[in-house]
Amino acid sequence: MSAEEKSLVDRCRQGEDDAWRELVDRFGQKVYSVAYHFTLNREDAEELSQEIFLKTFENLHRYDGSFPLVAWLLSVSRNLCIDRYRRKKREKSFRFVSDDAVLPLLKSDDDPASETLKKERTKLLFWALAEIPEDLAEILVLRDLDGLAYDEIGKALGLPDGTVKSRLFRARAEVARRIRERHEKRGAAGAFQSLALAAGGVL
Amino acid sequence: MSCGEIERLFLAGAPAEDVRRHAKGCSTCRALSADVEAAEQMSAGLATPPLPSSLRTRLIAIPRATVSCEGAERLLPLAIEKELDADDERRLASHLTRCEACSEAAAVLFESRELVEPIAPPWLASRLTAGRPRRERRFWSWILDPKAAIGLAYAAAVVVMLLGFNPADLARRVRTGEIGQNTRAAVTVAESSLSDRLGALQEKAARTLAVWKGRAGGYGRAAVSNVVSLIWKSSATKDRSGARPRNRDGRGALRERETSISNWRA
Repeated sequence: MSAEEKSLVDRCRQGEDDAWRELVDRFGQKVYSVAYHFTLNREDAEELSQEIFLKTFENLHRYDGSFPLVAWLLSVSRNLCIDRYRRKKREKSFRFVSDDAVLPLLKSDDDPASETLKKERTKLLFWALAEIPEDLAEILVLRDLDGLAYDEIGKALGLPDGTVKSRLFRARAEVARRIRERHEKRGAAGAFQSLALAAGGVL
Repeated sequence: MSCGEIERLFLAGAPAEDVRRHAKGCSTCRALSADVEAAEQMSAGLATPPLPSSLRTRLIAIPRATVSCEGAERLLPLAIEKELDADDERRLASHLTRCEACSEAAAVLFESRELVEPIAPPWLASRLTAGRPRRERRFWSWILDPKAAIGLAYAAAVVVMLLGFNPADLARRVRTGEIGQNTRAAVTVAESSLSDRLGALQEKAARTLAVWKGRAGGYGRAAVSNVVSLIWKSSATKDRSGARPRNRDGRGALRERETSISNWRA
C-alpha cells in the first residue's frame, strides 16, 4: 500500500496532473472531514483543507513511503489543525455550536424527531470535546469521527498504538464525565439517564 | 474512579470479556464502562461532511498556483537572472509567501547581488605579491631537471675516469645485446666520443708532464751550480778581513789592488 502511495507521490513530484488529481480524489474527502471536525465551519474547513493540501504539495519530497499517506498528510498538517482548533476554542465556537454547524454531520435519512435528537447530541459532543484536554480531543476526533485506524493515528501523532488506545479511552471517559457533570449542574433527573439520552438510548 | 483495575482493564486494553466480568461486581467500573460506551455511540452515527466540489477544483489546481520547495530550488536561480515567465514567477511568489525557509533563501540570494564591492586596502597588492608561495621542488623534480641531468652525467664520467676506468671499456662491458638497436648506436657514438676525449686528455697530460719534467731538470741543475759556486767562494775568501779601509771622512777607501775610475782612465 505504501509502495503504491509512494509511486503516486513520485508521479506528483514529477508534475503529472493526473497523479495529483488522483491524490486529491483519494484523500480530499478525508482531509476535509478532519478539517471540518476541527473547525465546525464550512468556510474554515475549506480554507484549512486547502492549507493542508498546499503544505502537502510543498513537502511531497519528504514522503518516504514508510507509513500510510493519510497519516503522513495529517502529520504534516497537524500543527495547522491544532492551531485552528485552539483558535476555535478561544472563540468559544465549540461551546455554542450552531445547528448549521452540525447539519453536515447528520444523515439525511433520519426522521425529523431523531434528527433533532441527534443534532442536540452532536452539539453536546462538541461542547464536551472543547472541555477536555487537546491531546485527548484530537485522538477522539481522529478515531471516532474520522474513523482512522490506531496505527494511522499513531503515525500521524507520533505515538505508539498503546498510548493511542489509552488516550482514546480516557478521552471517551472524560467526555462522558463532562456531560454527566453538566446535567448534574442543571439538575437533570439523574446524570446517567441524561447521558443515556444523549447517547441515543443505547444503554 | 477509584477502582485499582481501571488501569489494567481499560487503559492497557484488556479483552472485553474481562472488562464485563469485572464490571458485574464493581459499580465504579460499570459506570465508567457505560460512560465510555455512551461517548463512543455519540459519535458513531455521524455522517461525513461532503467535500464541496468547488474545493475539489481548487485543490486540483494547486500545482498551477504554487510550487514545491523542490520547484522553488529550480526556479530561484532563474528568478535571480530574471529569466522566469509570468506563470512561474507567480507560482514562485506564492510559495515564497508561505514557506519561510525558501523565502529566507531567496532573500539572501537576491540581496547578495545588491552588495557593494569592498575596496581593497592599498597595501594588499604588495602583500599578495610578497606572500606568493614558492613552489617547493621535490627531489625527483630536481633530479629530472635537464640541466641537472647533464651535470650529473659529466660528474659521473669524471668519477669513472678518476677511478681509473676507461668509460669506453665500461660501455663495452655493458650488456648491449639486450638494449635496442637505437641504444646500441647511441652507445657506439658515446664510445667513440669518450675515446677521443680520453685520448686527447692523455696526450695533454703527457705534454704537461714533459714540460714540468724539463722545468724540474733545469731548476735542479741551476740549484746544484749555485750551491757549488757558493761553497767555492766561501773557501777562497776565508783568510781576508771583510772590513773595507776607511778614509778620514769615514767613507770607504779603495783597497790596494783597486784603482779609481780616474786612475783607470789615466
